[in-house]
Amino acid sequence: MLDLRVPSGWFFTILGAILLVMAVAAPGNRAELTDANVNLYCGAVMLGFGGFLLTLAWSAARKRP
Amino acid sequence: MKLALVDYVILTIYFAFILGIGWRLRKKITTSGDFLTSAHSVPVWITSLAFLAANLGAQELVGMSASGAKYGIMTAHFYWIGAVPAMLFVGLFMMPFYYGSRARSVPEYLKLRFDEKTRALNAFTFAVMTVFSSGISMYALGLLLSLVLGWSFTTSVLCSAFIVLAYTFLGGLTSAIYNEVLQFFLIVVGFSPLAILAVSKAGGWSGMAERIPAVMTHSWKYMGSATENPMGIEIFGLVAGLGFVLSFGYWCTDFLVVQRAMAANSMSAARRTPVIAAIPKMIMPFIVIVPGIAALALSKMAVGYSLPMKNGGYDYDQALTTLMAKFYPAGMLGVGITGLMASFMSGMAGNVTAFNTVWTYDIYQSYIRPGAPDRHYLTVGRVTTIAGVALSIATAYVAQHYNNIMDLLQLVFGFVNAPLFATFLLGMFWKRATGHGAFIGLLSGTIAAALTHGLTVAEGKGGWIADINHFPSVMAQNFWIAIFAWTTCFLMTILVSLVTRPRPEKELEGLVYGLTKLGHDEGVSWYKRPAPVAVCVAVFLIILNFWFA
Repeated sequence: MLDLRVPSGWFFTILGAILLVMAVAAPGNRAELTDANVNLYCGAVMLGFGGFLLTLAWSAARKRP
Repeated sequence: MKLALVDYVILTIYFAFILGIGWRLRKKITTSGDFLTSAHSVPVWITSLAFLAANLGAQELVGMSASGAKYGIMTAHFYWIGAVPAMLFVGLFMMPFYYGSRARSVPEYLKLRFDEKTRALNAFTFAVMTVFSSGISMYALGLLLSLVLGWSFTTSVLCSAFIVLAYTFLGGLTSAIYNEVLQFFLIVVGFSPLAILAVSKAGGWSGMAERIPAVMTHSWKYMGSATENPMGIEIFGLVAGLGFVLSFGYWCTDFLVVQRAMAANSMSAARRTPVIAAIPKMIMPFIVIVPGIAALALSKMAVGYSLPMKNGGYDYDQALTTLMAKFYPAGMLGVGITGLMASFMSGMAGNVTAFNTVWTYDIYQSYIRPGAPDRHYLTVGRVTTIAGVALSIATAYVAQHYNNIMDLLQLVFGFVNAPLFATFLLGMFWKRATGHGAFIGLLSGTIAAALTHGLTVAEGKGGWIADINHFPSVMAQNFWIAIFAWTTCFLMTILVSLVTRPRPEKELEGLVYGLTKLGHDEGVSWYKRPAPVAVCVAVFLIILNFWFA
């Protein structure tokens, strides 16, 4: 059976990377009601979450006979 | 609201991933059981999140944010009173019979426990309601996307329906469940930052409390009388109507959610599924309701945000999307819109997979063509998936022309689900309950619901027979309809059962409490057993209720 952590992990890693690139390439790209660089913070969290899922999947695959 | 290129890229990546999951899982589908019931093979963490996500449609996200802006934290009763206790109950007490009986669906359990006519009544009403529910959800999404993004209604409906069809057609229930988990993650990731940003802009909880009426920041304090709170409900109506009849009627008997738990890979996993799902369910109000409350507070702050107006009042339905437009830049806005699409798709896929199982096993195999080879039912399951989506699309267009259809459906859900819970309660926990009792109880409960609606009026609705009582709100009316329907079904089932012949006890083994050997997870860590986890959830739930009382 497909390990769902693999596609989910890749999905959020890609999403996080896109948001981080946006945050760095266009730092002035801000929403109307906040000064925070939303793409930077959210991108970092998504990248971390994606990496976490991939690590879990990789670790589980190693333990399998 | 206008999307940038990057937002469309994110949306496209999401579509590619969910279709890819369906494509990967297609090879696992060789029997009708693989396609329609996942062959009881899905791990517990996946079934738990899918159990929650199948209920988390676009209407829920948009509707609960709107209710947050309109009624305040009182809306959390729909989670803390109206969902979590029922989820714990179904996991601890009902799942042993659903899963242990090896029934493939909720109607099939009714056949095993009672008789064919009770199963038929439930299967047909459920199939019709599921298609309507899916279509109306689709209509809501099409309307939302056309209003917010200016997309054409037809394009929105057809595009999203095609994608749901593609991945459920390829991978069946397993694909729907797997994608529901990805969709759940996306909803949380897409909307949590909005809650944080909106609340902090509004000055935190204390800042919001200063700007909005006190009744909106307390969940219990103003429930003593229906006139004290904007919901127009008093404490008994809330606890008995929502907290008992409606919530238990939905979470314990609706095949849409129960199917996810029944797909789990063991009895223990099936029992833990709703219990684990209750943990994120408790937290969901902070992601969907609190932003609505913040939207109202921000409207009173002159910071450049105000809720859109409609007919001289606030248009609460736009709270979530207008907040996204103000707090999310290009990039994160794409994630938010994708989260909205994901919520719609998880809700629709839930309806479609439940519909095709009930149609294939409980209607087609039982009444149209019994005894065919399994391969035939697999084909029927696939064809039913296409038919279910097509019917949903048709319903979406019907709903576009007849707006009252949404109110009607909500009402019918109350008519059908509320008495059904009484039937299940007696069926699972009273061995004397008979098939005739269950059938007449169900019918009389539904009739009692219709009579209550016809004899009472709320906000101009109901009273089509006579006007003998007024409710302060439609919500209060719905709760009382459910209470009357449940009580009538409960009493009628008992009365008729006492004068009809029960089935021999031997035939009820595995179906009724007291005649079923319940397994105990000996030697398993406490966090892998449903009861200790349920106790932890209940304690946290009580704390939450006191905290926001």
